[in-house]
Amino acid sequence: MHLQNAEDIIIAKDVDKIYPNGCHALKKVSASIKKGEVVVIIGPSGSGKSTFLRTLNQLETISSGSIVIDQVDMYGKNTNINKLREHVGMVFQSFNLFPHKSALHNVMMAPLKVSKRAKSEVEEHARALMKKVGLAERMNNYPSQLSGGQQQRVAIARALCMKPKIMLFDEPTSALDPEMVGEVLDVMKSLAKEGMTMVVVTHEMGFAREVADRVLFMEDGELLVEDTPDKFFHNPTHPRLQRFLSQVL
Amino acid sequence: MQKQPNQMLWQGVYLAVVIIFCSVVYASSKHINYNWNWQRVVPYLINTEPQSVRAPFDGTAKVSTDDKTLTLVPDAGGEPVVVKKFSAISVNDGDLIFEGDQVATISNWRIGPITEGMITTLEISLASLVFAVIIGLFIGLGRISRNLAIRQLCITYIEIIRGTPLLVQIFIFYFFIGTVLSLDRFTAGVASLAVFTAAYVAEIVRSGIQSIPPGQMEAARSLGMTYVQAMVNVILPQAFKRTLPPMAGQFINLIKDSSLVSVISITDLTKAGREVVSATFAPFEVWFTVALLYLVMTGALSWMIQHLEKKLAASD
Ligand SMILES: Nc1ncnc2c1ncn2[C@@H]1O[C@H](COP(=O)(O)OP(=O)(O)O)[C@@H](O)[C@H]1O
Ligand SMILES: [Mg+2]
Repeated sequence: MHLQNAEDIIIAKDVDKIYPNGCHALKKVSASIKKGEVVVIIGPSGSGKSTFLRTLNQLETISSGSIVIDQVDMYGKNTNINKLREHVGMVFQSFNLFPHKSALHNVMMAPLKVSKRAKSEVEEHARALMKKVGLAERMNNYPSQLSGGQQQRVAIARALCMKPKIMLFDEPTSALDPEMVGEVLDVMKSLAKEGMTMVVVTHEMGFAREVADRVLFMEDGELLVEDTPDKFFHNPTHPRLQRFLSQVL
Repeated sequence: MQKQPNQMLWQGVYLAVVIIFCSVVYASSKHINYNWNWQRVVPYLINTEPQSVRAPFDGTAKVSTDDKTLTLVPDAGGEPVVVKKFSAISVNDGDLIFEGDQVATISNWRIGPITEGMITTLEISLASLVFAVIIGLFIGLGRISRNLAIRQLCITYIEIIRGTPLLVQIFIFYFFIGTVLSLDRFTAGVASLAVFTAAYVAEIVRSGIQSIPPGQMEAARSLGMTYVQAMVNVILPQAFKRTLPPMAGQFINLIKDSSLVSVISITDLTKAGREVVSATFAPFEVWFTVALLYLVMTGALSWMIQHLEKKLAASD
């Protein structure tokens, strides 16, 4: 069903995830994502969206199936998972900034420690990214001195500073006050425009409609629907998707 | 606002209780006819008594004209001895001197045995502290390792050390391990204190690390950091701040526990105190002094850590 295509930067095949407590969170999930594509995953809470996203950078290991990222088999014998993660940025619902470092140093830490890039180059890059997310004035603030929306934008800059090929977003606006949702979505939109490959778990239907190339629907650990936003929202055929949309829209 | 007068009242009550307590101590010592004589303790802290200089051979004394140097010329020939900076001189120019005669006195300050004991206590505590932190850090990390063997070894270590008395451990270290590895007293004492304290440090490190939200480790790993890089750059710096208060308590315990090494004949502050008591027959003064010196050390340590805590609070 899923043809192996050189353009596919993420290929997940028959992914099963059973947590140690026996919870069967993913059931034979298969999905391919092309370079530059923006894919939005929606579904009710507990359906396995976060779990699936987290298997894509191996924050969760899978129980069976396979995942190939940028031609590299994630569970291959010679795969260095740290190397692979450098190219897969992740933005969390709860920001997870490092509270003991200023915003700028949050952004600079991984490139310095992991990629061993020159300090001057990293700092220049980090300053440019802070400017890009609209926080040029707040570089020296500690996370506790920033609003939720500002923290999330720093978190995006932090992931971008590793020059990732893929960005994963796990409900990046769910922990924000409503008036701050827009500023984060704007940063994500401009990122999508630049051609970044993005996988976004969100409840922001507007964002899905406007930015997504494809929308996936998950329920009970199963990937039930994948379609263009137009068909997904205006012509849903799957009965469980119809029911879900009627509840949230 | 009724608060102000109340505060004053309780401040007064506090002072009254302290004064009553001190009077009771004083009265009870009077009751057993104890003569307080703090003067007797001083030479054991700092000895200011002039030291007499004695002639090392038979010979002649030569005092320079400005009375600043005394030269002793031996009869049997050889190098003369020059004495300078003396406070008093008890010979005249040209006097014959005999071996053992007092020729001059030098005023100098020497530290007394109690101070020496305190220095030993500081040395032992500091050395054990450094090793306890290093060992404790690794045991604490091993305690939360994913590797079952490492984890269980660390748990066993912690349980054994925390389940047996320090005094017994010191004896085992000195008489068993010390004999096998031929350790000297000091090393055995430091080793037993370090191993003992490390078990508690390990638990403090573990709870400090576990108090950091798991999202921190996930964020660090998602950026490509290895487990060790994430620990060193993200988790431990944050955990360090949180472990400071319990660490301070543990280090204060370490200073106090170090008094137990006196059982293997290390002359620390406590043992020095015991020796001075038998020399002065002033047990109350000596033990109060010893207690005060421990209080100074633990107080200084706790002040330093509080100071560090304030400095690190910048990012909160
Ligand atoms: N660490 C975990 N251990 C055990 N079960 C988990 C864990 N994380 C998630 N689950 C379970 O897996 C299922 C899917 O969770 P999740 O992926 O977080 O869903 P979603 O993000 O769609 O809300 C849920 O039933 C949840 O209870
Ligand atoms: Mg989720």
